[in-house]
Amino acid sequence: MSKLSKKLFRDIKQNKTQFITIFLMVFLGVFVFAGIHAYMDGMAVSADEYYKNNNLQDIWVQGRAFTTEDFEKIKTISNVKDVERKLTTRGAWDGVDLEINFIESNKISKFYVLDGEGFSKDKNGVWVDYYLAQQKNLKVGDTITIKLEEYETTQKVLGLIETPDHVYVVKDETEIFPDHSKFGYVYLSVNEFPGSNQFNSFMVDIDDTNKLDETKADIENNISSALAVTDRDDSVSYKSYQSEIEEGDTYSGVLTALFLIIAVLSVVTTMNRFVKKQRTQIGTLKALGFKKGKIVAHYVSYGFYVSLIASILGLLAGAFSLGIFFLNMEMEYYEVPVYSIKILPTSYILATAVVLITTFITYLSCRKILKESASEALRIQMPKVKNTKFNITSLPIFRKASVATKWNLRDVFRNKGRSIMAIVGVVGCTMLIVCAFGMLDSMNSYLDWEFEKICNFKYKITLADDYTEEQLNNLTNKYGDNTSQGLGIEIKNGDKKETNTLTVNDALDYLKYTGHKREYIDISSDGVYITEKLANTLHLKVGDEIEWHIFGDSNWYKTKIAGLNRDPQSQSLNMTRDFYESLGLTYRPDSLYTNEDLSNVEKLEGAKTIQDIKELKSGMESMLKTMKTVIVIMIVVAAILGAVIIYNLGILSLSEKQYQFATLKVLGFKGKQIKKIFTMQNTWLTVIGMIAGLPLGFFMTDYIFKMALSVDYDFSAKVKIWSYIYAVVGTLVVSFIVNKRLAKKIDTVDMVTSLKGNE
Amino acid sequence: MENIIELKGVSKTYKTGEKEFKALDNIDLKIAKGEFVVILGPSGAGKSTLLNIIGGMDKVTSGQIIVDGKDISNYNEAQLTDYRAENIGFIFQFYNILPTLTVLENVELVKDLVSNPIDAKTALKEVGLEEHINKFPSQLSGGEQQRVSIARAISKNPALLLCDEPTGALDSKTGVDVLKLLRKQCDMNNGSNTVIIVTHNSLFADVADTVVRVKNGGIESVTKNENPKKIDEVKW
Repeated sequence: MSKLSKKLFRDIKQNKTQFITIFLMVFLGVFVFAGIHAYMDGMAVSADEYYKNNNLQDIWVQGRAFTTEDFEKIKTISNVKDVERKLTTRGAWDGVDLEINFIESNKISKFYVLDGEGFSKDKNGVWVDYYLAQQKNLKVGDTITIKLEEYETTQKVLGLIETPDHVYVVKDETEIFPDHSKFGYVYLSVNEFPGSNQFNSFMVDIDDTNKLDETKADIENNISSALAVTDRDDSVSYKSYQSEIEEGDTYSGVLTALFLIIAVLSVVTTMNRFVKKQRTQIGTLKALGFKKGKIVAHYVSYGFYVSLIASILGLLAGAFSLGIFFLNMEMEYYEVPVYSIKILPTSYILATAVVLITTFITYLSCRKILKESASEALRIQMPKVKNTKFNITSLPIFRKASVATKWNLRDVFRNKGRSIMAIVGVVGCTMLIVCAFGMLDSMNSYLDWEFEKICNFKYKITLADDYTEEQLNNLTNKYGDNTSQGLGIEIKNGDKKETNTLTVNDALDYLKYTGHKREYIDISSDGVYITEKLANTLHLKVGDEIEWHIFGDSNWYKTKIAGLNRDPQSQSLNMTRDFYESLGLTYRPDSLYTNEDLSNVEKLEGAKTIQDIKELKSGMESMLKTMKTVIVIMIVVAAILGAVIIYNLGILSLSEKQYQFATLKVLGFKGKQIKKIFTMQNTWLTVIGMIAGLPLGFFMTDYIFKMALSVDYDFSAKVKIWSYIYAVVGTLVVSFIVNKRLAKKIDTVDMVTSLKGNE
Repeated sequence: MENIIELKGVSKTYKTGEKEFKALDNIDLKIAKGEFVVILGPSGAGKSTLLNIIGGMDKVTSGQIIVDGKDISNYNEAQLTDYRAENIGFIFQFYNILPTLTVLENVELVKDLVSNPIDAKTALKEVGLEEHINKFPSQLSGGEQQRVSIARAISKNPALLLCDEPTGALDSKTGVDVLKLLRKQCDMNNGSNTVIIVTHNSLFADVADTVVRVKNGGIESVTKNENPKKIDEVKW
């Protein structure tokens, strides 16, 4: 080992606090980026492989009852590679709502069998959603009794499976988070269907995905009984999973940027000071005849090695701890059978870039001193302080300030880099705490909006598809005539057609509408209402006309927009029953809302499901649980960030001014007085950083919510005053503890050696 | 004349790793009040250690130090701090003034320490720096900087002024000026102020009331100068 490398290691050891700070910041920056990307990319790649290997369909075709002619016809449409038909219906087993699928073959959206056997039309038995089976402790060989409308069928479990079109499994659009103990899916052979089988969907596999739109149009035109022809981007399972991946992108962007900015700042300040401290050593090396290049390489290698090690460790630790942790957390909800984290080139590129940037900044920091001649560098340099044009302490308000205040003020302004870095560090700390609590606040405010303001009912009864008029009358007589109908529609957006939903609302006191400021608005029967966000994406305003048609009905309607409403979780069309009927359409409700107590009612004639609003809400609350984990991580990171930055700067400041403190000690200043002088500027900078961090924390929360939520959502950050108070208290506690620890260092300042050291 | 300082069997041992180094070895010394004392000796003889111990910057390993009738050898940190604040003025070879404070502010610092400081401006006038009070140390010459540190020391109005090589970093003419200032401080308050100067420059012996010669951690000799020369009379 060369003597210079020895010097390198000893120098790093001696200045460990500074190098640990650089290390930690680079490490955290890469850690967060690599960690989030490892799980995001892992999710993306794992799902892609799954979709490919198990042949996820390209097109979904929904209908009420497809004939065999339809089936044969669709096969002949160009670009169609393969088609399978399916009968999907709803049922129940042991308190669990089930999606029941009857199939005759399984080449599209193939089972991934985790236990038991694969599909065959001749087998009698049931294949069960693996996640559901886990929750209900169901094993291959057990028997279950499935209720299916008026039928009941007892089946042996043949296999525990997952299928690629059921990655994200929720009961309906009111549920955001899957709850595998309340809802799942099963597959049976079509031979097991108790009634006469009427296939209601086609799964279509195509050859050329570039011709997707044409193929969809061909199907629409040729299969008259097709109510909806949709592709992967319309599939709730596919779409939600994709948007979950994109969400990670936002977090990783914001957090990585924060840490890397601080890493760069800490490299600048630390290396500047470090090289200054080594000025005479540099002079000596030069005087000894070391070549300039060698000295440059030596000093640059400090930044290089530290960031290299931090970067490698950050990459590995991020991917293998944070990445795996998040991936496992995600996969509690999403059903992808084989998954693992992935480190894609982006992460390597970032890690390498960070090392290069750090090294380059190190070079910039020491370039100046390295330029000096040997004799110049050997001369002792008195800190240059001059009366400059702008001297803050000459301002009238500071004229009466104490000497300690002036001393600190000048110190803050003389060491701008260090001060800025301290502020940025504290800003980061405060921001993260505000954001952590702000996310929780925003979620709660959203839940309030959706479940307290908009949904004004205790129970939602979903009506059976084939209810009779008499059954409906019985229900409305008993529980009130408050119903709605949801319809799948297509709307025209220029030349394109987009799928959306239309709610015909005949329960205006139960399903309410909110305006721009979340205030209640009444909807009239003068036209259609669309949500603000949808209006913005479609560039429409009140008074404009919107063109749409209902799936299964080729008539296009052009209706006037009577008003805009806001809904946090669905961007769609709404109208009153009167307006709907004025278009000549027949209203056939599919849901009924009531405030009657239905907790003991298990089954109602003509009803498919009965849902308690609490049940709807509980799905969301499990999302809050996940969020709480993220919040804890954010707070821990905030505390580390704040503590490391303040401590590092304190140590830098102390080592620089050791002899000044020693002088004060010799003069007879008490330890307490010196500590007060020493920690004064840290307190100032903390307060400044904190004040700046509070609004920035709000913007960060807002940004994350705006970016992370998919187009269906419309709610902005709401941060409560308490969250700001927590952030202030949290930051002050960190600053207080660190200052206490730093102040202790004053006791160790030895007068005799410090004063000698100045020679 | 009463003694302001009395050292009885004072030893100071430094430990570095396994090695022990005796900086002071069983020293007895008395210094009378109001004297201008020069401690002479080669490098490493223990002069600075002696001064640091008297000034309460360092603690003895064994022995007693009685200053103005009080035994300071058993003082704890807090007591030593008060002792330094109230009684001692220090002057160092490298001035040790705070670079980010102006000349005036450097001297004003002591306002927070002693109950009856001499006004900072008066002290600065005393050392001839009244023109420079708003400058920063880096704008001053070495001699001027040393005068700031003298002004700071005397504004505390200390009974004991301890100087460690005060002219070591200065040219001879400036050194003479500084030395005159120190002598002047000694003669103030009816000659009750004591000044102790540590140096390796034997010329200082001629102007001192008492010369203490130190060698290898012990006292070699203590000589009284009945007729010390005027500072200007010495050829520096």
